[in-house]
Parts: sequence; structure tokens; C-alpha cells
Amino acid sequence: MKRAIALTINGVRVEAEVEPRKTLADFIREDAELTGTKLGCEHGVCGACTVLLNGEAVRSCLIFAVQADGAEIMTVEGLAQNGQFHKLQQAFWENHALQCGFCTPGFLMSSYALLQENPNPTEDEIREGLSGNICRCTGYQGIVAAVKSVAGSAE
Amino acid sequence: MVQMATPRGKWIGARVKRVEDPRFLTGDARYVADLTLPRMVHAAFVRSPYGHARIKGIDASAALAAPGVIAVLTHADVASVPPLQDPIALDGLKKTPQTVLASDKVRFVGEPVAVVIAEDRYLAEDAAELVQVDYEPLPAVTDAEAAMAEGAPLLFEDLGSNVVYDQTYRFGDPDSAFQQADRTFKKRLHTNRFMASPMETRGCIGQYDRGLGELTFWSSTQMPHMLRLSLAGFLGIPEQKIRVITPEVGGGFGQKMTLYPEEVVVAFLARHLQRPVKWIEDRRENLMSATHAKEQIIELEAALTNDGTLLGLRATCIGDGGGYSFNTASALVEPQAAALMMPGLYRVANYEARVVAVVTNKTPVGAFRAVGWTAGHTARELFFDEIARELGMDPVEFRRKNMIHEDELPYTTCSGQVYDSGSYVKSLDLALQTVGYDELRARQAELRAQGRYLGIGISPYVEPTAWGSEIALQVGFPFPSHDNARVSIEPSGKVTVAVTTHSHGQGHETTLAQVAADILGVDLADVTVVFGDTAATPWGMGTYASRSAVIGGGAVTLAAQEVREKILKIAGRMLEADPADLVLADGKVSVQGSPDRSVTLAEVAVSSYFVNSVRAEGEDPTLTATRFYDPKATYSNGCIVVVAEVDPETGQVRLDRVVSVEDCGTVLNPMIVDGQIHGAVAQGIGGTLYEHLVYDDQGQLLTGTFMDYLLPTATEVPPIQVEHLETPSPVTVQGIKGMGEGGLMASPAAVAGAVLDALAPFTPKVEELPLSPERILRAIGTITD
Repeated sequence: MKRAIALTINGVRVEAEVEPRKTLADFIREDAELTGTKLGCEHGVCGACTVLLNGEAVRSCLIFAVQADGAEIMTVEGLAQNGQFHKLQQAFWENHALQCGFCTPGFLMSSYALLQENPNPTEDEIREGLSGNICRCTGYQGIVAAVKSVAGSAE
Repeated sequence: MVQMATPRGKWIGARVKRVEDPRFLTGDARYVADLTLPRMVHAAFVRSPYGHARIKGIDASAALAAPGVIAVLTHADVASVPPLQDPIALDGLKKTPQTVLASDKVRFVGEPVAVVIAEDRYLAEDAAELVQVDYEPLPAVTDAEAAMAEGAPLLFEDLGSNVVYDQTYRFGDPDSAFQQADRTFKKRLHTNRFMASPMETRGCIGQYDRGLGELTFWSSTQMPHMLRLSLAGFLGIPEQKIRVITPEVGGGFGQKMTLYPEEVVVAFLARHLQRPVKWIEDRRENLMSATHAKEQIIELEAALTNDGTLLGLRATCIGDGGGYSFNTASALVEPQAAALMMPGLYRVANYEARVVAVVTNKTPVGAFRAVGWTAGHTARELFFDEIARELGMDPVEFRRKNMIHEDELPYTTCSGQVYDSGSYVKSLDLALQTVGYDELRARQAELRAQGRYLGIGISPYVEPTAWGSEIALQVGFPFPSHDNARVSIEPSGKVTVAVTTHSHGQGHETTLAQVAADILGVDLADVTVVFGDTAATPWGMGTYASRSAVIGGGAVTLAAQEVREKILKIAGRMLEADPADLVLADGKVSVQGSPDRSVTLAEVAVSSYFVNSVRAEGEDPTLTATRFYDPKATYSNGCIVVVAEVDPETGQVRLDRVVSVEDCGTVLNPMIVDGQIHGAVAQGIGGTLYEHLVYDDQGQLLTGTFMDYLLPTATEVPPIQVEHLETPSPVTVQGIKGMGEGGLMASPAAVAGAVLDALAPFTPKVEELPLSPERILRAIGTITD
């Protein structure tokens, strides 16, 4: 039996009727048609599906869409404003923090959440903070450098 | 210290930000899972839960009655599709055909047995659970040596054996070398099975247009044209009526250069159902059904003089190929590549290699970055560490003594590789100097006195690259290999470069544009690189084996040079000057010495296409050229040094330093070269310490999720310091050598070497990888049961 839900994604209200078993990740990708959020493992390890739910980084493959009823969601598509990259996106570009790009949305969202919580992390704190995301291309060198480069800078 | 050759132009060699990045950073990039087509339906595969079983019957009635289900297909429905099998004809390699859906038997957990198509993926997966397959379990064999033994369960009864290849090669006179030796040594190493694990799993969409008789196939593949050729053969659709498109591909590392049975089934279904069919595998399927890699049992023997001079080598490389050798000689790919490159960058005049490929009840094996070489290199380098220890020599001195020195290049190895150029000793020296080797040895002694165990692992390497016909032959796979580029100046003066090499993270949209921009004298922003669509590019083989910089870069160079000649000819007529006196730079053509006599490239282009008077009678108005490139063999080299500390109480390893010196000839973009090394080294760290595909004796995969198949994260991969040397190849266009695999070839030996060096006081015995804490504790006797 489908249930009606309403939530806000990147500031836009989305209403839909969904199966209770539909994951938030599938809801974002299929119902809201925002495919920037990726699915790498669908069992909560790789972090590719990371989004912000009411400001906190969550793995959207482990949450049902109905659990997010009424929530504010932010996805990778919500990072750039007025056609301008967020400073993290710019830093990822400058520091070669991506190769195939598949894990990138998840890393950007985890990095965003990390900096919200700790605006000036040390390198160890960055590595610890991003250890719930897996990248298979970069060896994390560019990603850590990117986050380090914006650590301590104002919003 | 960074040594760079003189820059060859404005763009080649420049640390340019990638032009492809913005769409990935905004979430706009579209991978195959992100595509939706009208009337699209979804496939889910029913997979074998047994390592080895006979299929006695399949009842799909409950699945067919489930909500949203459109069809369920089993082998009988796809019996017209020929089985997958090795296309390469190698003497003595037995064929092990795999039907695209299992017919009478299953041979590994995860083998596709049936496929369910439903209106959405949730419903397809629900119904897949309802397909009743009646299996008669058979005894399984999951160890290559056990599979070779008399009386082992047979995967293919008609072959009478699980051994699909067993050949011995002799180079020089190995028997005499062993007779003359002062000392001989032996080592055995069973390398762990691990896998590419690209973050994007496999997936594809097939769409068949009945009116046109055309199949459009979107797939996460590294080789669009080869996939098209295969689909044409398997489905009987004319090749020119198939268009293969790769949207963004989220990493490949070799896993996506294979034709998979699922792809053939999805293409079949698209035509059969007359609806677009999408299949996106989940991670559990990828771990159990996409190609595994790297597992070999290697036995080495070395013949030496008392002063540590290597006289000869013997190697037995047994490849554990899994259930089928179904694709590009897959069971053979590991041991063959390992054996042919076993001499590495050492002077080995006499060498004997036995290459054995065996099928077992595990997932089939395929290419993964430095295929075969990782296992072979790791075994040899750890062996050399042991020999040096036994001889009381420093491991560096042992290597330096036996290494090919720069003044011996070009060098033809006993097993047939022609090393064109390189910096073998220089790389070793630079790596040691960068890491501070002598100080580290002193520090190691100091710490040992305090009961702390620091180790240094040294791994110099030579890396076959530029996979064209010649190198393929030199490293044991006689199959032609070449690619194409088409460079076009459009009427507006903008540049399109269409290539057949494929980018799935390597940044070709930037590096190949850098090559074209330099030759055509245009800004990088005026060049667009197109790939990944058989309708938009010339024919070519795709990306694998570190070939794209050399072959893609070389083909773009050749085509761009030809277009450049055309531009100068037209501009010469426009400027009434001899083309030999013209300079093409900054988007315009000017007369040497008179910069005010010039025309813009856009003016040249529009004139060529639309003003007949600038062309000679019959001259082509289009400013385009297509050129192929099949390079001569070229070999990169480098050296990786790792410093690690091991806790002998817990078996925990902490990596303190990783230094990688890389020489890949002419560097197109050092930032991208660095990134390739970082990623390859991280995979090597994973494969040495964490990643292991473990089976029980019935062929059950015990590491079927990312909870138990452990990929390294940012806390396991330390900072990696990269230093560049640049020895351009004398035999390739622009002196480019390939790179990308060396990090995974050489870092496992450096990581494991550092761990074993740290534990040297315990004289550890290690015959298996990975070096898990438990294995380390057993190796040093802390755990004894």
C-alpha cells in the first residue's frame, strides 16, 4: 500500500506516493529525478549515496523514503548556487579529487557535513571524517587535499 | 626533486585541471543507472547458490505469476545464443564454453541461471526469489592444486581434467645455470584473490528498434567496439546495425573489458520483448559474478653465485581461473602474464617457466590492473628479499647488482621483451634518497632495541605499456591491438577529436585535448574529445593495459599533424606564402617573421569548407584526418618504497611512508599521472593487507559484501609521495609511454616487503597473502594452533 509523503529536496518541495519499502536513495533518483546521488553498494558501506537529512549526513540507501517524510534533504545538486560552485566543488576540481566521478557526490556531501560540524579539521580528522566513503580511483590523496584546502575558510 | 624534460609546447606536460570535471561535481554526469527510457523494464538475474551443482529442473510458474512480472527466461529460451568462450587461439588452451544462462550445470556461486523481467527492479528482485531451481549439489573444488590432483571433481567432464593449459617455456639454458650455481633458493607464494571493485557496478540497457532492425546498447564497458562485435556475433544482428554507447563509466580497472553473459542476455531480451531492458547489478552480484583477479600459486627457484649474482630462475605459475575460462583467455591471463614478465628488470639469462591454468568452482578470473604482473612481481621481489637476507646482503645491493643498468638499454630479456629505454637504477636511487634509506636503517636498529618493529620494502619495477600488437606478443598474448583517432577542424574553426580509446576516470578529455591543442595551435577550450559511442568514433579496441596515453595520444598526434598540413596548405594560398614559412599558434596562421600577415584558424576553416578558390582541383574541403596507431613496445619503470611499523602483539600494520618514483616517458599531464599512481598504490595496499575473496570448500563465497570484503579507506591509505623522472621512449610517437598499472604491480611487494623486513628478527614464514593481522601473528609464532 503506497503512502503519501512530502519532503523538501534542495529547497524544492516534493510530494509523492511511495511504497513503504522504497529507499530514500531510490526516491531521490527515481521520483525526484535527481540522479546525482549514486548507489555503490546498497548496504550502507561505500557512502556513495550520502545526502544531508535535516543537516546530517546519512546513507540514503539505508533509509526508507517514508522515514524522511517532512524532512529537508540536500543532495549534490544543491551544492552549487546561482551557477557558482560551492568552495568544496572548486577545491575538488583544483586538487584532482575525482577520476571516474562515481563516488564524488557522496564525498562532497560527507565533506560538507564534516566542515559543518568541524570547520577547521586536521588532516587526521579529515581522514577519519571521510572514512565512511570509499573511492577506488584516487587513493584519497586529492580528496584529503581538497578538504584541507578549504578547512578554516568561511562559508 | 622533479626532473622534467623540456616542455614540448604550451599544453603537453602542463598540470591542467580536467575539463571533464564540472559535470561530475554538480551531479549532472549520467552513468548507465541514471538513464531512463520510455517503456523500459528491469531485469534481475537468478544466480546459483551452489559452487558446483547439476540443474535438474527449473519451475518459474510462481515467479511468472508475481506482480509486475513480464517474463522469466531460462537456458531453453536463449538456447539459440552460442556459448561464451575464449576467442584467442593459443596452442594447448582448452575451451570451457559458458552458456549465457546455465544449462545442465552451475560451476560457481553467482552464475546466472535465469532472468526475470518486471516493471521495476523491486518487483524483478521479488520474483527472482520465487524461481524454483532444483539443484543436485556436486562435490566442489576450490583450490587450484587440489583441482589438478587425480580424482578431483571435474568441472567439465568431457575435458577429463580441470587443467586447461599446462606449458613449459625454456629460455637460455636453465639446467646448466642451476648446475653451475653455488647456491640455490626456493620460494612459494599463494597470492590472494581480490578484485577491481569499481565503485560503479556493471550495468547495461538494450533497446531494439524493430522498424530499423537496430539495437542500441548502453553499457558500462571499457571497449565499445569490441562489445558491438561480440553482440553482433552472439545475437546474429549485423554489426553495423548495433550502436554501443557508454555513458559515464564509473571505473573499470580491467573488470569492464570482459564481455559478460548478462550483457548478451539483456541485448537478447531487448529484441525478444520489444521493450528497452535495463540491468544494473547490485554490489553483492558484482562481488560474486564480475571477474575476480590476482590469485596464483607461484613457486620460484633461483640459482646464484656466492657473491649474489643471479644465474638463472625457474618459475611455476598456477592460475586459479574459477569456473570458466570464458573471455580473452581468462584463466590463462594471470599465470601467462606473470611468467613472461618474471625476469622483470633483472639480468636473467636462463629461465624456465611452467604456466598452468586451472578451472575451479569460483568466480571466473579476468583482467585487473597489472594482470598477472602483480602476483609475479610480488613473488619475485619477496623472494629476492629472502635471498638477500640469507646471503647477508642489503636488499638494495642485491637488486642493484642484478638489475639492468641504463647503459645496457635497449635490452632484450631472455623471455622476449625489448626494454626500449628507462631509468632503472636512477629510479631506485631517487626513491631511496627521497625516503632517506640510510637514516631509516639506523632508525630501524634504534627502534628494534626498544622492541619496536619498523620495516622498509623496496620494489623497483618495469611495466609493459602501450598495448599494441608488438607488446602483446612480447608479453605472451599474440593478438593484434591498435586504435584510431579522427581529428577534425569544424567550419567554425573549433576542433573535434574522436577517439576509440575509452575514458572511465583517466581524464582523456583533457590529456588528448592537450595533445591536439599543441599541434593545432589552439586553446584547450576549443577542443572537444569524443569517445564511447560506436556511431561517433572510428573503429577501435578501447582502453586496457595502459595503452591509451600512448596509442590514443599517438593517434591524435598523427591525425592532428595531418590536419595541420591541410591548414597550412590552405592558409598558404590565402596568404600567398609557402606553407613551410607559416607558423600555426594561438588560433592563427602567420608568416614567419611577419606576424601581421596572418589569418585566423576560423578563417582558414570557413574558407576550406566554403570557398572553392582556396583549394586545388579535387582537394578535400573538410579539415579532417583519421589515423591509426599500433605502437612499438615501450616499457615504463619506477620504484616504490614503503616504510611500515608492525605491532608484534596485535599483528597491526601502520604504513608510515610511501614513495613512488615513476618514469613514463613524455608526461602529458603530471596531475593525472600522479592520480593514477595514487589510485593504483591504494589498490595495492588493499590487496596486500585487506582485500580477500574467501571461499569455503563447497565454493561458497564468504566475503560477499563490503562488510567483509574490505576496501581501504582514507584512514588506511597514507600520504603517497610521487617523484617523476622523464625518459622519453625512442620508439613511440612523442616519446610517450603508458602508465597506470605500475602502482598495483609494485606496491604489494613494497608493502609486504616492509612488513616482513620489520619482522625479520622473528624470521617470519609467509606463503600466503593478504597479510591480515592473524596471518602476521602466525608467521611470527604468536599464534601457533
